[in-house]
Amino acid sequence: MLVVAGIIFLGTLGLLIIGWLRRGTPGLPFFGQSERANVGLVIAFGMAIPATVLIALFIVSDLYVMGQTDAPPADQTELKLTVVGHQWWWEVRYPESGVVSADEIHIPAHTSIDVVARTADVIHSFWVPELNRKIDMIPGQNNRIELYAERPGAYRGQCAEFCGLQHAHMAFQVVAEPKASFERWLESQSRPAAEPTGALAERGMELFDENACAGCHTIAGTPAEGTIGPNLTHLASRGTIAALTVANTPHELGRWVRDPQSIKPGAKMPGLALTDADFHAIVAYLDGLR
Amino acid sequence: MEATAPPASRTRTERLERIWKEPSGVLGWITTTDHKRIGILYFFTAMTFFAAGGIEALLIRTQLIGPNNTVLSPAEFNQLMTMHGATMIFFFVIPLSTGAFGNYLLPLMIGARDMAFPRLNALSYWIFLCSGIFVYVGLLTGNGPSAGWFDYVPLASKTFSPGPGIDFYALGLIFNGISTLAAAINFIVTIFKLRAPGMSINRMPLFCFAFLAVSFALVFALPPLTVALFFLELDRLLGFHFYDIFRGGDTILWQNLFWIFGHPEVYIIILPAFGIATSIIPTFVRRRMVAFPLVALAEILVALIGFGVWAHHMFAIGISTITAIYFAGASLIIVIPSAIQLFAWITTIVTGMPRFKTPLLWIIGFIVLFVMGGLSGVMFAAIPFDQQLTDTYFVVAHFHYVIFGAAVFPLLGGMYYWFPKVTGKMYYERWGQASFWLTFIGMNITFFPMHILGLDGMPRRNYTYSPDLGWTGLNLIETLGSYLLAMGLVVVAVNLIVSIFRGEPAGDDPFGGDTLEWSISSPPPAYNFAVLPTVSSPYANWDEEDRKLDKEKLEQGIEVLDQGHETAASTVVDGEWDEILEMPSSSPWPPLLAIALAGIFAMVLLKLWLAAAFFAVLVGLVLVAWHGGEPQEA
Amino acid sequence: MSDVTRSMEATAPDPTATVERMRRSMPSGWVGAILLVASEACLFGSLIASYFYLRFDASSWPPDGTPAPSVVLPLAFTAMLVATCVPIYLGVRAARVGAVRTAWWLIFLATGVQATYLGLQIWLFVEELAKFTPRSSAYGSNYYALLGVHHTHVAVGLALGLWVLAKLFGGRLTNYRLNAVRILGLYWYFVSAMAILVVITQLWPSL
Repeated sequence: MLVVAGIIFLGTLGLLIIGWLRRGTPGLPFFGQSERANVGLVIAFGMAIPATVLIALFIVSDLYVMGQTDAPPADQTELKLTVVGHQWWWEVRYPESGVVSADEIHIPAHTSIDVVARTADVIHSFWVPELNRKIDMIPGQNNRIELYAERPGAYRGQCAEFCGLQHAHMAFQVVAEPKASFERWLESQSRPAAEPTGALAERGMELFDENACAGCHTIAGTPAEGTIGPNLTHLASRGTIAALTVANTPHELGRWVRDPQSIKPGAKMPGLALTDADFHAIVAYLDGLR
Repeated sequence: MEATAPPASRTRTERLERIWKEPSGVLGWITTTDHKRIGILYFFTAMTFFAAGGIEALLIRTQLIGPNNTVLSPAEFNQLMTMHGATMIFFFVIPLSTGAFGNYLLPLMIGARDMAFPRLNALSYWIFLCSGIFVYVGLLTGNGPSAGWFDYVPLASKTFSPGPGIDFYALGLIFNGISTLAAAINFIVTIFKLRAPGMSINRMPLFCFAFLAVSFALVFALPPLTVALFFLELDRLLGFHFYDIFRGGDTILWQNLFWIFGHPEVYIIILPAFGIATSIIPTFVRRRMVAFPLVALAEILVALIGFGVWAHHMFAIGISTITAIYFAGASLIIVIPSAIQLFAWITTIVTGMPRFKTPLLWIIGFIVLFVMGGLSGVMFAAIPFDQQLTDTYFVVAHFHYVIFGAAVFPLLGGMYYWFPKVTGKMYYERWGQASFWLTFIGMNITFFPMHILGLDGMPRRNYTYSPDLGWTGLNLIETLGSYLLAMGLVVVAVNLIVSIFRGEPAGDDPFGGDTLEWSISSPPPAYNFAVLPTVSSPYANWDEEDRKLDKEKLEQGIEVLDQGHETAASTVVDGEWDEILEMPSSSPWPPLLAIALAGIFAMVLLKLWLAAAFFAVLVGLVLVAWHGGEPQEA
Repeated sequence: MSDVTRSMEATAPDPTATVERMRRSMPSGWVGAILLVASEACLFGSLIASYFYLRFDASSWPPDGTPAPSVVLPLAFTAMLVATCVPIYLGVRAARVGAVRTAWWLIFLATGVQATYLGLQIWLFVEELAKFTPRSSAYGSNYYALLGVHHTHVAVGLALGLWVLAKLFGGRLTNYRLNAVRILGLYWYFVSAMAILVVITQLWPSL
């Protein structure tokens, strides 16, 4: 497409340059001042040639390529996955194994995955540019898209439909790995949360359950069963937090937990009025949730 | 009238001047019904909104100059990007092209003394002004709309946008729609009925064909928008459920209604620019337009086919493949009439003897930018391509090339072209050319890299971006380009403003123009034409015999129409003289009606229903006063 | 030149009829009104299209709990409105030949029936609000919005009719007022046509 566009553009430029060069002479080169030649040129370049190019483009891209890239029927895919868009994070569910996670999707490479794209609030759009087109997540609809990774690796995705204040910070990661390593990951994700190790982490877990945290977040196997915010059961296994906004290190996690608004103003997570020591404990707890 | 004109002619023109002259001073301007004054009012108001939209753009670009920038908060950014789009489309480009250029030039090009409905014309202006102020009250009180200019639900619903921002937007646009619809109807009736006798449809300048097409498109495109906004406000203010999926409503209903308006809207934006291009080219290349009938037909076809392609804005929402294929096909078909016009213009330039003065430079720039924008647009008709690149900077690049490059460049060229006619002074040619190059280069530096950023995955409407994504360099270049672009526009403004005061006298026809406005003085007299112009072709000012005949008619008192505030009405197709019409003169009712209507919308926004009803009664009273006086009493 | 009239000079029934006879194309005001009517028709088209769009995906329509629309009264009322096209047509025709008194009485009759229609429709509207409201469902929202817009158009038509009656009272016909009469006629034909489309849409689940 780029080549054809380039030819057309340069051709137009060329004609304009000819117009400039011949500005003292009326009429066309070769054809002179024949009005019929003029109209003939308009018909040729304005109708005949565009029509040919456009028909070719239509057949190639809208019939052939579309046919090749249609989402396969659901029963021909090997793994099913549901992604629910929220303002401004991604809920990831593996229905067959019951795994629930957030912002990071693991898939086996060389496998056809059926992703059902839904939303919990406004329109979002699920887009992993390196793997496939975007598909909007529309209230009430279950749009489907295929994910297929040729090569193992990490692929960045992001929301591609304006969804409010933090649309710019609503990205996610698709990690494609060899089948065996994917199975191991899935298995570890389906276990309940790791027990806190050490007094600090235990204190952190208490604080988590006593304060507002447990009202929004789920940590499987604990009293925390909130579903408003992301599932944190295996938070420490993820590379980033807050939908790829900051790296998942104790320092950044501490910053986030203390004051989410300073990193993602408008995010639905409030800051809590706790002491430094309390935050320290909570971070220690969360950091152990592999 | 020249001092050397024969005495009888001078007496007649003095009489016409006395009949048509409006009061001077502020009151004269507020009560004006003169299409020329209304055009000038539209011009200055639209340019003020252009400046506002431009400042919004510069703020956006400054925020994006580097990663993780904090010039604007996300809330501020979202309001500014929404208002930038809304301002540029609804309060700048359409009012400038239709309200300013259309109003001023249309009656002049067809040999009429005013628009068909002069008071309705004034009303269109005052409603435009009031609706613009209405929406900006929202922004300036920190309550700007922030869901983007196409305002998708559910983000725009009360649940997710609880403040009044969306209400300012939706009610303001419904209000603005009244202005635009009235203007469109006025244009159509004027073009159909008020052409000088002898100007059959095939002798009408191409500018008028473009405006006929635009006006018909507006008549049919505005209602779906009004309905979409009406439903939105019913949901937001009164708790209805049009877009509420939990009660049987549908999210995509909004998108369909909006884009059934929205796509024709972009052709509405560009068609007047096509009309301006087809006016400037013949004058500056000193030959008639190649394939005139094909160009006229193409202008109408663009407007028509534009109604059949709206769902190409919805390729990523999960519509069925067969639906997508239909809309992609239709979107490709619309390229043909655009290509016809493009090659007609280019062929005219090549076969003519172009003088590359400022107005023509802007048109050459327009052609180059239109081809680029058109090519990126055609790429979007390839559905898989669209599904990757919609909602990224690639589409931002595309529409800025077609809106800024292809709609605004001709407007800037037109400003230079008709500046001598409106003011009687000439602009500074060297500064004119400099302003073109600055703007053209700045525009390309700003918007070309956006194609690459889009291909690189940068989504649109993001208030910031991370430094590790590789988008930093191009964003910096784009922001610097935008500053250059702004400078170019400032040079345009300074050139024209200074020239008003210090420009050389321009004379009636400094460029050798082909249409009737160049046959009268600069600025035109209040009565436009002293006699009904004799017309035998669309290039009336090049028909010297006809223009000589007009002078004789004036001397002998034939077809002078000076028994009152008069203009001629003709039959629609053949332009045979049918009636002499008495036109209304200055009237206070249009601005008063606009204010009363503004009152209704303001009260609805505030949910003060009784107060809204009071203003509705006021509207009724003003309408009674408006229609109370009749032409014979004028 | 001699067969071109200064139309504003016709300030009595006979000159007005003469101007009307001699003109070769529709007056500006009428052309403008046709365009306004076209735009409003698109408005109704969008409202009706939305109705069927929402219905298309609905599992039950009207939704459970909402009664299906009654058929007889709306159809009867609509017939009443459409029937006023006859006196309107005859009234316009009379005005065009200068028979202003005949025109006045015909328009008066039509306006009376139209006012009655509106009154009855408002009564029905209020009655139905007791059974379900626009806030009950999208069906309710669309139902009442469509009817509300239609009734508003009827109310505007009544205001136009009263205006024309006031202006023609005492036999004062001018070219300007004749244009108003013709536009009134056009407007009522349009509203009647919309009334038919609206009532079909309104009654669709029961038909």
